[in-house]
Amino acid sequence: MSARPSLGTEARNVAVVAVLFALAPLAVLGSSYYESVLAHLLLIALLAVALNIVFGHTDQLFLFVGGLAGVGAYGTALLADALSVSAWVTLPVAALVCGLIGLLVSYVAAKRKFTVVLISILTLNLQLVFSEVFVGARDLTGGSTGFPYEYFELGVVADALGVGEKLVLYYLVLLLLVATLGVYLRLVHSKYGVAFDAIREDEIAAESIGIDVVRYKTIAGFVAAFLIGLVGAFFARESGYILPGGFTFLAVDVVVLIVLVVGGLRTTLGPIVGAIIVVGIEEFLSSAQSLQSWQSAIFGALLIVLFLYFRRGVVRSVRDALDDAGLVGEREGGGGGGGTDADGGR
Amino acid sequence: MVAASTLLGVAVDGLAFGVFLALLGVGITLVFGLGEVLNLAIGTFAVMAVLVATVVVESGMGLVVAGVAALVAVAAFGLVVDRTILSLVYRSEGEERILLGIFTTLGLTVFLDGVLINYFPSRYTLPLNVGTVSVGGATLTGGSLIIITVGAVVLAILFGFLRGTFLGKATRTVFQDERGARLVGVNPRRIRTLIFVLSAAVAGLGGLVFAAGSAVAVANGFQFTTFALIISIVGGVRSLVGAVTAGVLLGLVNQFANFFVGSYIATIILFVTAIVVLLARPEAIS
Repeated sequence: MSARPSLGTEARNVAVVAVLFALAPLAVLGSSYYESVLAHLLLIALLAVALNIVFGHTDQLFLFVGGLAGVGAYGTALLADALSVSAWVTLPVAALVCGLIGLLVSYVAAKRKFTVVLISILTLNLQLVFSEVFVGARDLTGGSTGFPYEYFELGVVADALGVGEKLVLYYLVLLLLVATLGVYLRLVHSKYGVAFDAIREDEIAAESIGIDVVRYKTIAGFVAAFLIGLVGAFFARESGYILPGGFTFLAVDVVVLIVLVVGGLRTTLGPIVGAIIVVGIEEFLSSAQSLQSWQSAIFGALLIVLFLYFRRGVVRSVRDALDDAGLVGEREGGGGGGGTDADGGR
Repeated sequence: MVAASTLLGVAVDGLAFGVFLALLGVGITLVFGLGEVLNLAIGTFAVMAVLVATVVVESGMGLVVAGVAALVAVAAFGLVVDRTILSLVYRSEGEERILLGIFTTLGLTVFLDGVLINYFPSRYTLPLNVGTVSVGGATLTGGSLIIITVGAVVLAILFGFLRGTFLGKATRTVFQDERGARLVGVNPRRIRTLIFVLSAAVAGLGGLVFAAGSAVAVANGFQFTTFALIISIVGGVRSLVGAVTAGVLLGLVNQFANFFVGSYIATIILFVTAIVVLLARPEAIS
C-alpha cells in the first residue's frame, strides 16, 4: 500500500499550483487565445481528477467521460431553455443526473462483481449510446451542427472588474479545480482513502474486515460522474459552441486517460502535470504547420509507448528522483516501487 | 402493410450486414479467447483492407486480385503488430494484461487513424456491380447474395480448420487450457501469433464485405471496433459459434430496425442490446 505525502505537504503543493495558475494569465496578458488554452488545460485536468478518483482509486475504468460531460453540457443548456431559467440553476441538476448515472453504473457493477474490463466495456457502450443520442436527437441537440453555447452569464462580473469574460471563466474554473482538489485531498486522507486502498489491494480481504465495497465504489462513481457533468458544461461554455463531436470517446476519454497516466495515477498533482504536458504537446503540434496533420498519429504513438513503458507517471518519478537526491524529507512508502504500479491491485 | 417480398429483400440485406458483423465478432473473439487481449484496433484493420483494395483497384487490377492483396497486406500488418506491441503485452499476466491490451490497441487505433487520414481523406467503396436478382417477385441485391455466400464459405473454412486440422486442434487446446497445451508440446505464443494474423485477415474480409455495399472512411474504424465488441459480448466472448449467431441475428435486427424506425434508433438498439446482455450475464465475458 503506497503511503502518500502528508496532507499538509499536499495541501501546500496544491496552494503553490493554485497561485501559479492564478498568476499565469499575467504572462499572456490580454491574449484571449492563450487564456483559452489555459482554461482548456484546467478543464482537462479536472476531468483527469475525476477519472483519478474512480479509476485510480477504485479500479473502475470509466470510459464514458466524454459522454457524461456531454450529458452535463447538453442537459444544462436544454433544461435552461426548456424552463427559461438561468443555466446556473440547471447546472447542478444536470451534474446530479450525471452523478446518478455514475452511481447506478458503479452500484450495478460492484453488486455484480464486474471486473475492470467489464466496466470499461459497459461504460464504452453507454458512451456510444450518448453519442448517438447527441447526434440523432436533432430537434433537441441540433444534431451534428450543434448550437451556440452562451450560458452562464459572466458579463456582470467581467464589467464590474473591467476584464474580459474569458478571464472570468478561467478564474472560475481555477476555483473549481482548487475546490475539487481540496475535496480530493480530504477524501483520500480520510477513512475513504484507506477503504479505497484496501479495496484496490484485495477486495475480498477488504470485505472481510467490514469494508462495504459496494458503498465505497458507488460513492467514488457518484463523485467522479458528478464532477465530470459539472466540468462538461464549462467545457462547452469555454468553446462557446456545443457539438456532439466534442464529447466523443476519441475526443475526450483518450486525452484524459493519457493525461492521467502521464501525470501519475493516484497522485494529487498528477492530473495537472499531465494536463500541462499533454495540452502543451497539443498546442505545439497544432502550432507547427508541418506537424498539424500528424497530431493524432503522434498522440496514438504516445499512448502506446506510455502504457508500455511509463505507467508510473511524471509526478511519482520526479518525487522519487528528488527523494534519491535527498531534496525532500518525506519518503513514499514501499508500495510505489516497480514499473507496474499503474494498474493497481486486483 | 409492407409486402412480403420487400421484407425478404430487407432480410437478405440484413444477412449480408450480419456476415460483416459476424466476421468482425469472430476476429475479436479469436484473439480474446486465446490471449486475453481485446483488440480495439480491429475495426481499423478492416478499414485498412478496404484502403489497400482501393489502391489496387485504382492501379487497374480486378476486384478479386484487390481483395486478395488487401487480405495479405492486413495479415502481414497483423504479424508486425503481434511481434511488436503484443509481445510486450503478453509479458504481463491476468487483469493487467487485459488492461494493457485495451490501452495499447486503443493507442494503435488512434495512431493508425491519424496516419491513414493523411493519405486517405475521403470515403471509399468497392462496388460489386452485379445488379439485382429477382426471386419469386422479390428484388434482392446481388451484392448481398455474394457477400452471404463468401462469408458462409470463409466461416465454414475457419470452423473446418479449427475442428479438423492439427493446428486447429492445438489452437483449441490453448483456448481451453494453456498449461495443458504446453505440456503436450504446443507453443501457445506461436499459436497466438497465428490466430492474431488470422483474426486480422478475417476482420479485413469483414471490411471488404462492408465496402461492397457502402462507403468506408478512416473514421469508421472505431465504429467497426464497437460493432465487433457488441457482437462478441452478445455472443459470449469466448464462443465462435456465439459470435457468428450474434452477428447474423443483430445484422437482421439492425436492418429491420433500420427499415421500420430509421438508422439512428437502429444503432442505439445495437448498443443497448450489448448493455442488456452485459448486465444479464456478465460471466460470459469475464
